[in-house]
Parts: sequence; C-alpha cells; structure tokens
Amino acid sequence: MTVKTERVATARCLRVEGREIALDPEGYLVDLSDWTPAVAEAMAGEEGRVLTPEHWEVIDVLRDFYARFEMAPAMRALVKAVGQALGPEKGRSLHLMKLFPESPAKVGARLAGLPKPTNCL
Amino acid sequence: MLLHLLNRSVASSHVYRDALRAMDDDDYLLLIEDGVYGAVAPLNEHFSSIAGRLYALREDLASRGLEGRCAEQVIVVDMEGFVQLTEETERSVSWF
Amino acid sequence: MNNADSSTAMLVVLRHAPHGSSWLREGLDVALVGAAFGQSVSLLFLGDGVQALIKGQQKGALGQKGTHPTLDMLAMYDIDTLLVDADSLAQRGLAEDDLQLPVTLIASSQLLRVFSRHAPVFNF
Repeated sequence: MTVKTERVATARCLRVEGREIALDPEGYLVDLSDWTPAVAEAMAGEEGRVLTPEHWEVIDVLRDFYARFEMAPAMRALVKAVGQALGPEKGRSLHLMKLFPESPAKVGARLAGLPKPTNCL
Repeated sequence: MLLHLLNRSVASSHVYRDALRAMDDDDYLLLIEDGVYGAVAPLNEHFSSIAGRLYALREDLASRGLEGRCAEQVIVVDMEGFVQLTEETERSVSWF
Repeated sequence: MNNADSSTAMLVVLRHAPHGSSWLREGLDVALVGAAFGQSVSLLFLGDGVQALIKGQQKGALGQKGTHPTLDMLAMYDIDTLLVDADSLAQRGLAEDDLQLPVTLIASSQLLRVFSRHAPVFNF
C-alpha cells in the first residue's frame, strides 16, 4: 500500500448559485468545503434524483459521521449510524437501498459532500 | 502450531521480545533478513527459551557473511527448508 | 462483544505508534475492510501499538489526520474486541485510565492464546 494523497484531479465543474463547484472523475467534491445543501440538490438533480426529507435526514447522518470520525462510512457502519440516529426502522439496508438505489454508501457520501468511502467495494 | 518469522536484529529492535511472548510451546521461530544477526553468539542467548525451535535462513546468513559463525543451537535451513516449515505449521506470523 | 466465537474471528495486531509511520493506519484499514465484509474482527494492541489508545491525541503538526477518530469509529463497524497487552502498557507508564476506549487487558501468560485461537492473524 502507498500513502494516500488527498489531492484529486478535477474532471468537471458544476455551476451552483453562481459558483463553479469542482468534481472529481467519480462525481465527488474536489474541495469538501464547497458543500452546501444547494450543491447536494444540484448533484442530485443532474442524476434525476429528487431529495425528500428522508434523503436529507440520511445526508445529515453522513455529515455528522464524517465530522466525528473523518471518514465516510461503508455500508455496515452507515446502517448502524442511521439506526442510532433515526431509529431501528430506518437503520436497515432495505430502507437505504430504496433511497439511494445503486449503492447507499457511495451515492450518499457523494451527495453529502464526503470523500468516497475507502473501505467498501 | 505457528511459524513465526522475525526479520529484525535483536541488537537494534525489541520486537523479538513480543514474538517470543506470542509463541506457543510448539511454535517455531525462523530468523530471516536482518533477523539472522540473532543467530550468532552471544546474541542467540536471547532465544534460549525456544531451544530446538529456532531456525535461521541460510541464504540470509550467507549474504551477511555469517554462515560459519552461526551458533550451534540454531537450525539452519535453506529456502526449501523454509517452505517445508510453512507446510508443517498451520500458518505464519511475521514480526518486523 | 464478539468474544463468543473468536476462533472464526480475524486478529489484527497493531504494534506501531500513531504519526511516526503508516503501519497503524494500514492495520486499521485491514480491520475495517474485514468488518465491512461481515467478518468478526479482534484487535490486539502490542508494543508501541498501545500508544494508539492514549487519550488526547491530535492532528499532526502539518494538519495530517490522526488515527484517534478511526479508533472511535471502530464501534460503528462492530469491532469491540480491543485486546491490550498489559505488559506493553505498564512498560510505557500507562494504565487503563489513560486510554480513550474501554479495552480488555491481556496478561503476558495469555498472549500466546490470543494468537493460537484466531485465524487468520494480520501483524502490523
């Protein structure tokens, strides 16, 4: 294993409220401090997703997780964190799969303005 | 039954102490790379508790000019012997 | 606790202190990947590895991330079997109270059992 560099290449930009937001080749933010709720809306809109209050509460859990642990959670940890914050009904992979169908850990992290989760495929 | 591999000299690193404490009564210890410096007297005395279960790799002794100076109690094996040790044991644990 | 059947748990041995090298982080990464794939994981802090648990750690002088937030995160991956070699702790003037997480102390005489009852063992 080599030392991970935190610098990522900008692949393209997203225009949000008059600001150019740089995205890496996989659509994650290049500069994590660029994130605002409007950025999340714009990223979701590009992919044809509509963010409901149920999406937002998971995004909040993700941002809180990153603030505490400085890492984006893999699925196992995301399920547990959502369960702790929002109750056991929502802390299930089924619920998260419905909200972020392809991959809750990756899509969620992207929309929440976190780096890509490193310890999941 | 485990094969423990040590690649640091006992003269410069204390990791051998942890390796020894982690060893069960039937485990083996094989000295490789700089670990083979511990196969020469008086440094080999650090391994007196595992007499008969201490091995050193011939190739690494030879490259360091130690082949003829290896203490008698140390069992010298070549690469083939190394492979044989890994076959005899369930798995190996590296100490570095 | 995941102690119930440790014979099926993987053991990650952490023997290096934080900040000085990347060994500790790499060991933690392996533990997290194992847990992310549903493995039951035990950690053993041995030698300088016990320094990873000291309370009050911070980022590096140049703002480099520490490993202490990752240790706090282990519970989110259900990694709650944290074994600490009692001798290593005492040799460094540390006691359980000095650590940021609850741990299980392992007496020197029990250390070899930790190795023999786990498979596989990853040593960092």
